[in-house]
Amino acid sequence: MLLELSEEHREHLSFLPKVDYAVVAEFGRISLEFLRKGSNPKVYEGAARKLSVSSNTVQHGVEGLTYLLTESSKLMISELDFQDSVLVLGFSEDLNKLLLQLYLDNRKEIRTILSELAPVFPSYHNLEWRLDVQLASRCLRQQIKPTMTLKLHLSQDGEQSSQVLQTDPATLLHLIQQLEEALGEMKTNHCRRIVRNIK
Amino acid sequence: MELSEYVQRGCQMLADPGCFDLAAFALVLRAAFRSLLEARADEAVLDHPDLKHIDPLVLKHSHAALATCILEAGKQKADKSTLSTCLEDCKFDRERIELFCTEYQKNKNSLEILLGSIGRCPLLITDVSWRLEYQIKTNQLHKLYRPSYLVTLNVENEDSRSHPDISFNCTMEQLQDLVGKLKDAAKSLERAAQM
Repeated sequence: MLLELSEEHREHLSFLPKVDYAVVAEFGRISLEFLRKGSNPKVYEGAARKLSVSSNTVQHGVEGLTYLLTESSKLMISELDFQDSVLVLGFSEDLNKLLLQLYLDNRKEIRTILSELAPVFPSYHNLEWRLDVQLASRCLRQQIKPTMTLKLHLSQDGEQSSQVLQTDPATLLHLIQQLEEALGEMKTNHCRRIVRNIK
Repeated sequence: MELSEYVQRGCQMLADPGCFDLAAFALVLRAAFRSLLEARADEAVLDHPDLKHIDPLVLKHSHAALATCILEAGKQKADKSTLSTCLEDCKFDRERIELFCTEYQKNKNSLEILLGSIGRCPLLITDVSWRLEYQIKTNQLHKLYRPSYLVTLNVENEDSRSHPDISFNCTMEQLQDLVGKLKDAAKSLERAAQM
């Protein structure tokens, strides 16, 4: 599957052959940093001064490169398809090789970052548990009531939260049985067939 | 078993054959248990033709006193001799003590369950549901191809009020981790039960 590069995109990328390979590699590094932490306009200004061009040009160059990398990673295009896609830009063979290397080196990390953009529920992080025996309360003395206290740690958007919960022995066994059934589902013929056939 | 002065006076009225004959006493006794243990009991528990001749204030006082006495006995897990001693102090005769103890014995378990359920505790997990999905793509990421679980814990507050469920995603490995930890917890429960 080939990448479709728009006019505007090609225009932005046309800045890349006009600079050293080292600069392109540096742009690649900046793109990744911006994907990880968000963009920082000051970087553009610094680079613009060093290269004697407008900071807009630098910004477009970096953004064009970022978009090239993210789109390729999103679609998980093959090496061959990537090479064919950048061919239309008319860059030198060495520059193409550099771009391909940037793609291959970073696509796993880019895909991880992109996966964080999907709508998600909080996700499981950890579970702590504690077995207690309640001996008495204000309303009832001389009890022997076993309870399981659980602390469920969840994370969402990088933020952790935790919730203290309680359950009784019977419910605990029921939870285990239900969740073991859930785990077993992936091994059934039905699920195996789906996994095999959806590629 | 200590009873307040108000409760003692109420019980003493019940002990007095001049105030309550045996039949009336039995009715108030049963009404007291019903008020405590039946979810939909209301003031009509005391609406009985055989109780009409009794002064309503006396009836209410003695009913409340008896209910308090029952609760105190339940709280302390009082045995028959403690109960008898306490009722003797309120001037109950042998017959009425026997009647009380029989009725108490019948309702003891329900009473303990009721008292045990009152109190603060963290959210209670009552059930779990799960959903297994196979992720194919999102608008940001294609060719995902991985299984994902959505687990929902049904939870309740201490007075059985419902609370929004707790839902979370997890991968297969994370679910295995969760189940492993729950099984450890269950094992510790088993070991504790054998001690």
